[in-house]
Amino acid sequence: MSPIQQRFPAGPDVEVEDLLASLTAEPEGGRLKVGDPRIVDFIVKFARKLLAPATARRFPELASLGFFLRRGEITKALAGLETSGDELRFPRGLVFHVPPANVDTIFVYSWALSALAGNPNVVRISARSAGAAETVIACLNEALAEADPIVAQTQRMVTYGRDEVVTSALSAACDLRVIWGGDRSVAEIRKSPIAPHARDLTFPDRASFAAISVDGWQRATPEQRRDAAIGFYNDSYWFDQAACSSPRTLFWVGDEAGAQAARPEFLALLADVVASKHFVVEPAMAVQKRVSAYGVAAEGHATSISFAGNAVATLELAHAADVPREWLGVGTFPQATLSGLDEFVRIAERKDQTFSHFGFQRDELVDFAHALAGRGIDRIVPFGSALSFAAVWDGYDLLSEFSRLTTVTG
Amino acid sequence: MTATVEGVFGLGQAEREAALLPALTELTEHHRATCEPYDRILGSLGFARGAAFGSVEEVPWLPVRMFKHHVLKSVPDDEVFKVLTSSGTTGAEVSRIYLDKQAAGDQPRYLGRTLQAVLGEKRLPMLMVDTIGIIKNRRSFSARGAGVLGMANFGRQHVYALDENDQPDVEAIKGFLAKHGSEPFLIFGFTFMVWQYLYEVAREHKLDLSNGILIHSGGWKKLIDKAVDNAEFRRAFAADTGLTRIHNYYGMVEQLGTVFVEGPSGNSLYCPDFADVVIRDPETWAEQPVGVPGVIEVVSTVPRSYPGHVLLTEDLGVVHGIDDGDWPGKRFSVLGRLPRAEARGCSDTFSGGTAA
Repeated sequence: MSPIQQRFPAGPDVEVEDLLASLTAEPEGGRLKVGDPRIVDFIVKFARKLLAPATARRFPELASLGFFLRRGEITKALAGLETSGDELRFPRGLVFHVPPANVDTIFVYSWALSALAGNPNVVRISARSAGAAETVIACLNEALAEADPIVAQTQRMVTYGRDEVVTSALSAACDLRVIWGGDRSVAEIRKSPIAPHARDLTFPDRASFAAISVDGWQRATPEQRRDAAIGFYNDSYWFDQAACSSPRTLFWVGDEAGAQAARPEFLALLADVVASKHFVVEPAMAVQKRVSAYGVAAEGHATSISFAGNAVATLELAHAADVPREWLGVGTFPQATLSGLDEFVRIAERKDQTFSHFGFQRDELVDFAHALAGRGIDRIVPFGSALSFAAVWDGYDLLSEFSRLTTVTG
Repeated sequence: MTATVEGVFGLGQAEREAALLPALTELTEHHRATCEPYDRILGSLGFARGAAFGSVEEVPWLPVRMFKHHVLKSVPDDEVFKVLTSSGTTGAEVSRIYLDKQAAGDQPRYLGRTLQAVLGEKRLPMLMVDTIGIIKNRRSFSARGAGVLGMANFGRQHVYALDENDQPDVEAIKGFLAKHGSEPFLIFGFTFMVWQYLYEVAREHKLDLSNGILIHSGGWKKLIDKAVDNAEFRRAFAADTGLTRIHNYYGMVEQLGTVFVEGPSGNSLYCPDFADVVIRDPETWAEQPVGVPGVIEVVSTVPRSYPGHVLLTEDLGVVHGIDDGDWPGKRFSVLGRLPRAEARGCSDTFSGGTAA
């Protein structure tokens, strides 16, 4: 069996049996509880390191993570776990996390929430991880110096090669397995069985959308319109428009004439933002965008394609129902006009995750969610918030997934 | 001094473009009429049917990877005679090129006419720098095997320089040279294999290759580690084996039948009269001036059974000069490949080529 590289806490290579034995041993000072102060203190210290100006400047995504893990935010999240009456909440058990290779921060959100719920955790860090992920691991190891020893005993981040033996051993031992990384990763990891009582929490491939209300656009001030373009830029260009919550197709909701009038103005504002951010599309990505856009046209789903430089490509969809759900390359936006949000309800699928919006009234959005009735779309968020991670994700309340309830009836 | 090879490397750039433009315009119309997905692409880009183009540069191009994701053919299903496939570097992505009987006959004819420019009319004894296993083992028949088989037609009395275990067969090479080495003979192989299995063996055994004509292709990627580029390749062969007639060529399965051939004085590839290259600026996609590298577009009037007459490759290249080399037209070099487009996404499966 190949050895496991210990990234956090940094240590010598171990065998999987030894890793599991030390994780599940009875800790000194007692087992972790839901919202255990020993974990909360550690995570708050870690968050402070992420928010250090040099780190936050270099990796803005780590600043977002740092904010998410501030004491106030943690307290608020844990408050939602309080029980009353006959219910008592406890940690779920050993949690095995398999995050994606190329989003550097997901593994931290996944791990931190599970640790706050009081679980021992093993996180498999990809050998391909780089940049922000390396900084995260360094910050975790630094924060460990002042932490209670139970943190080092129960919280592990490891890297190992393509070794099904290790994956199988960790899968067999865990009470909950968290699989990120899309359909292929889910299928791959599921080849290793978990215990009968254990569960998988899976994050498969998703598709996300953006929508602008034509009325709302017309009502908006020039500043609000510019802010919409900035928010849309952040939502779509970060992570190369390839995150599960990055919007791809942009829907204009309202009357066709108004939508046609608003589009060039919005795209011009977007082009300004892209230019001001000096966003560079590499030649290979530029070719990828052509391949994807031409492909949509070849299949008869686009009536026109246009390129404003390499950074912004737009496609006019033949029918809103033809909406492509695959990644088309960064800065590639199919567009269609919908007469109302109810038209989207008819084309929504289970795969659909985030619907980012501009110019709608809150009650329109609530009615929209009721019409969708959980059949698709897990998040309806304003422009600029598509990528903000939340403790409710893909329809799951993660802290509640990471814990269990015992009932006592006297 | 500019020599011309009748009918193949004869057209200067102005005459070439004057001849290509109507032919490419006609081909564009032909493919639009017979390949609906192609027509949709051009339509969505705003090209009207019957549109006229002001220059070869203006004729719309398709990214070569389109053939990996879409069925693009300009012949009815029942006239498909042969489907060529090529595996990309990942193996998962395969181009599918559809040929009818006519196209299947045209391709070797164009290839033959082009190569005869450097080989002459006569079929010469041929040393294949490969293993006979590559064409004997039908089950693992590969792009490499197809290349070897296609080239074998240009020679006779073939001898394979590698044994069935892919090891250099020094006795076979010596035997070939003893029999044919004092008259012109032909050598064919993939660039890295020619270097690794012929050059190194010839140098070690002091073999005389001075009557050889070497035709090779396949790129320099595997030789970068050994610090071997085209100039070093030519220098070393000349100095250590006496081989000076060396012709690298550039071509791809998506435009089979069309090859761009290195001229006699080396280090530049030339376009046959029925073809051309346009080096494009990856930012504006306009044609680059001479001397400025960009993405290579290959143009050929050969593809009639599929819309492959104007293709944007994923290779980088540069035009060194126009009408100023061994043969008329543009002379250019291939500089390497574009890196793959990889995205940071939530799904581990994102990478160039995941689009449907």
